[in-house]
Amino acid sequence: MDAFTLQRPMGSTRQDGPGRRDAPRAADAAIPGQGASAAHVTAEEFSIYYGQNQAVKNVCIAIPTGQVTAIIGPSGCGKSTFLRAINRMNDLIPGCRAEGLLTLDGQDVYAPRLDVVALRTRVGMVFQRPNPFPKSIFDNVAYGPRLQGIRDRARLQGIVEHSLTAAALWDEVKDRLGDNAVGLSGGQQQRLCLARALAVEPEVILMDEPCSALDPRSTARIEDLIEELRGDYTIVIVTHNMQQAARVSDMTAFFYEGALIEFGSTRDVFTNPSEKRTEDYITGRFG
Amino acid sequence: MDMSSRKILDRGFTSLGIFSVVLMAVTLAVLLTPIIIRGAGAFVFRETVENRRFTFDVFGRGDEAALEVEVADAAKARKPVYDMVAEFRAEVGQMSGRRKRDMQGQLRTVENLLRELLGPFPGEPRPVMPRSRYGKPRWDRAEVALGRLLTVEDYDYSDPTQLGKKVLTPRVEKFRGTKLEELFDYLPAHAEAMLRPEWTLNWRFLTDEPVDANIFGGIWPALLGTIYLTVGAMLFAVPMGVVTAIYLVEYAGSSRIVSLLRTFVSTLAGVPSIVFGLFGLAFFLNTLFDLHLFNQVLGISRSKTVLAGSLTLALLVLPTIIRAAEEAIRAVPHSYKEAALSLGATRWRTVVTVILPASLPGILTGIIISMGRAAGETAPIIFTAAVALGKVPSLTELHQQPTPALPWNIYNLCSENQAIEEIRHVQYGMVLVLVGLVLLLNVAAILLRARISRKLRG
Amino acid sequence: MEVQSTTGSRVRRRAETKLCLSRRQSLVRGILGRLGHGLLFVMASSSLLAVLFIFAFIIRDAVPFFRLRGFSEFFTSPHWHPASADSPEFGALAILFDHALVTLCAAMFTVPLGIVAAVCLSDVLPFAIRQIVKPIIEILAAIPSVAFGFFALVILTPLFQNHGGNVLAGALWAVGIPVMLIVTWVLSDILSSKFKVGARKAARWTVAAVLAGIQVALLVYLGGKLSSLVIVSGTNALNVSLVLGIMALPTVVSVSEDALTAVGRELREGSYALGATRAETLVKVVMPAAGSGLFAAAILGIMRAFGETMVVWMAAGNSARIPSPWYNILQPVRTLTATIAGEMGETDQTYGAAHYHSLFAMALCLLIVSFLCNFAAEWFVRRTHKRMGKLAK
Repeated sequence: MDAFTLQRPMGSTRQDGPGRRDAPRAADAAIPGQGASAAHVTAEEFSIYYGQNQAVKNVCIAIPTGQVTAIIGPSGCGKSTFLRAINRMNDLIPGCRAEGLLTLDGQDVYAPRLDVVALRTRVGMVFQRPNPFPKSIFDNVAYGPRLQGIRDRARLQGIVEHSLTAAALWDEVKDRLGDNAVGLSGGQQQRLCLARALAVEPEVILMDEPCSALDPRSTARIEDLIEELRGDYTIVIVTHNMQQAARVSDMTAFFYEGALIEFGSTRDVFTNPSEKRTEDYITGRFG
Repeated sequence: MDMSSRKILDRGFTSLGIFSVVLMAVTLAVLLTPIIIRGAGAFVFRETVENRRFTFDVFGRGDEAALEVEVADAAKARKPVYDMVAEFRAEVGQMSGRRKRDMQGQLRTVENLLRELLGPFPGEPRPVMPRSRYGKPRWDRAEVALGRLLTVEDYDYSDPTQLGKKVLTPRVEKFRGTKLEELFDYLPAHAEAMLRPEWTLNWRFLTDEPVDANIFGGIWPALLGTIYLTVGAMLFAVPMGVVTAIYLVEYAGSSRIVSLLRTFVSTLAGVPSIVFGLFGLAFFLNTLFDLHLFNQVLGISRSKTVLAGSLTLALLVLPTIIRAAEEAIRAVPHSYKEAALSLGATRWRTVVTVILPASLPGILTGIIISMGRAAGETAPIIFTAAVALGKVPSLTELHQQPTPALPWNIYNLCSENQAIEEIRHVQYGMVLVLVGLVLLLNVAAILLRARISRKLRG
Repeated sequence: MEVQSTTGSRVRRRAETKLCLSRRQSLVRGILGRLGHGLLFVMASSSLLAVLFIFAFIIRDAVPFFRLRGFSEFFTSPHWHPASADSPEFGALAILFDHALVTLCAAMFTVPLGIVAAVCLSDVLPFAIRQIVKPIIEILAAIPSVAFGFFALVILTPLFQNHGGNVLAGALWAVGIPVMLIVTWVLSDILSSKFKVGARKAARWTVAAVLAGIQVALLVYLGGKLSSLVIVSGTNALNVSLVLGIMALPTVVSVSEDALTAVGRELREGSYALGATRAETLVKVVMPAAGSGLFAAAILGIMRAFGETMVVWMAAGNSARIPSPWYNILQPVRTLTATIAGEMGETDQTYGAAHYHSLFAMALCLLIVSFLCNFAAEWFVRRTHKRMGKLAK
């Protein structure tokens, strides 16, 4: 967001709210056996309201650096809302406000003087439906770098090639970078959106059900990609598909009715859930 | 009511609806047909040798050698006419009394009608007005002039309860037994030889200057003036309109401001066009350009100028542009905006790099439609920009000079010109050009919109 | 946790860059942002400013007239002799009346026709034909008013002047015959249903014949009356009303079509499901539901005719008097708009000249009426949408 919106951060009521303690403590507590620097994104007593309705309820979570964290849960459980809070995309929704603490590298994301634009260049996002701009493939990927003032054609070309390669799309489109991106297939479009996000060189990539609009083959390719990106980026993925969560993620968080029910390593959550509701959900008893 | 009558009532209602739609289509056809057919007459017509002479003399176009041959041939065909008139003049000279005076009067009428048809008599001094320097430039007008020569039009007022009745008598009746009698047989038989009409496609009608109250030449100044005014109006209206639309969709925080602004937009759309004209006069000319800054420092004239006209027209089309742009911007998928923001674009950058390009076709449609509107409006420019005669100002004096413009010249030619009947074809031609211009713009807009909706459907 | 321990180190952290702006940066950005927002708002209020300025300047130049001449003469005297050197008169009653007359005539013609056509477009015609008709309406809306004026002056006027009676009679027949056929058809059916089943067919034909006979006789009588009419001046109120009606049609059609479409499928299907015919559905369900929208369409259409200048200036005859009798629309008239357009060029355009200001007084009348109409139309449109919104929920 730009300067025009900066004077109205959502979490203005939050300063004196509950749970405003030192951020790293939650991180230490949540991930056994990891150093303090391991937590990349942490939330503490974090809530989001749509008007009167509390969509995310007092969530405490520490998302580890360089790992894939899956957020699962039934529809309307607030998992997407929470995801979108991390790079403050919820600012776009009128009447939406946040309470509690959410930090990126220990810095409060909802601080009143926060530079939303800087935040979003560090936290990239891939959306549910592929949303390439109606521009050429090249211009789509170069969009972010250009925003940062990179004008040099050779350098842009380097970034575009690198990002497209990282998104496993380079070989398919290298001969038609000038074509309109809308002409690509759905799976290609989604990988292009990923490449576009990578070109900004973020640390965190948020994925909001990135495969829900794709066919199984494209889904597999995206999952392979996530596998390759693991370690280089902190990835948070919201998914409806339990198998997918089990396949791609290191950590899994289960949301239910806006609250975080369970958070732990994927293996634990799927094989030995500590909560009854998690078990019911995973075994398909509801949701 | 039983079932069948309900059904019949239903069919009756349906046919009433279809009748009204058909009526609308017929109305459009009735409206456009004469404009197209007779307007085409300004471009495609039978041109007489007089027009070719005029074109060569004034615009320097045409083949001189061929023209000379043609003029000589025409003069040969005309010679018997002048001989007959000369002989008759001598005959009249020998008459006496009342008959002499009567015949002199008749002769003068015939001579004048001949001058109208063929131009001045050989050996006469060159007249000042182009229209008396040359004969009829168009064959259709020549036929009318010939008809006036051959028949006398009179009104019979013998019955006082009725309007005067038109009575037509052959003119030859007045010259029975004189040497001029033959003339009235010679003229219709040799009219084509004297005037040598030829079919021609005169696209220069668009690009020629008018000469002598539009009897000769084309409509270039009016066309160019209209283009100036329209483009000028767009220069002011498009930025204001698009920015307003951006503000309404992307920035206006409370819906109360949006609805307030929208109310004013529709109010502006409802203001009668003549009121815009008066406002332009009272505000731009009599107030704003009367200020020292504008008048002395910037050198903007206080009387009618292209600038004042463009500004007034810009206000007139502003609502159209705002509405079209707002609709187009609202139609941009929300996901584009989200994508741009998630990549770290500021709100303004998002608007400029993603939203405006995506909504451009829709905005363009609105712009094209309002261009048509601005080109066709008359009332706002009457007091602010338009003059009936005169040159189009050059680009550097648009803020100092008024201009002719198509709509205003149409009004002028068909209600205040000295030779309304004589230049019907110019009037129709102008209307055709204006309507054609506006329709072309609208068809372009319709096609553009069709393309957009096809694209949106996938 | 083997997986986790092998990863988690390669992420390029940019923790050293502060996400938060310094107090100074934040202040600068805030001020810049507010400035930008303010600038946008000012540009976006251009339409608001334009409306306010138009009112302000028209009022500014209209007030001196009322100060010089008072109100009563302008609104009550029909004598308009503003250019008279010794005793100018500024009675605009005749002009106001003529303006109202022309507008009403145009409305009487355009509103019913436009609404029926809109109903036809939204519910009766197949999609393919609608796609053809819509551009026709758009083209009709796009034709410049001066072209309509030219049509009225150069084509309609001589037609009225030379063959006035016959033209009117022809128009009567053209409209009368289809209407007659429909009326005969429907009425004969309804009346014959009163008879016994066996005699119904015969009764139907008899009734139809009688009805047709009566109507043909009526048409012949009226047609004869009309064709013997002599129209003295081809430039008259009827001529311009007709053309104004045509000009206003596209507005009426498109706004009422919007209103009818807004009614939605559910209501229609509900009515059809109860066994209603299309006509019954439209007349009893759809049109009442779209009522305020149709009202708005009528108002907007009337406004288009009301504010038109060129047509009335060119073809209304420019005679500033009340027709005698007042309903005689075959006489030349003159409207406010034509007066302003025609006389502004001849006035002394200096502050304080009564004639100049009187024309602004007329413009003020135009402005106030169109402002009120516009407000009414907007109110009606909003009401339709609100109602439809509630229904949808």
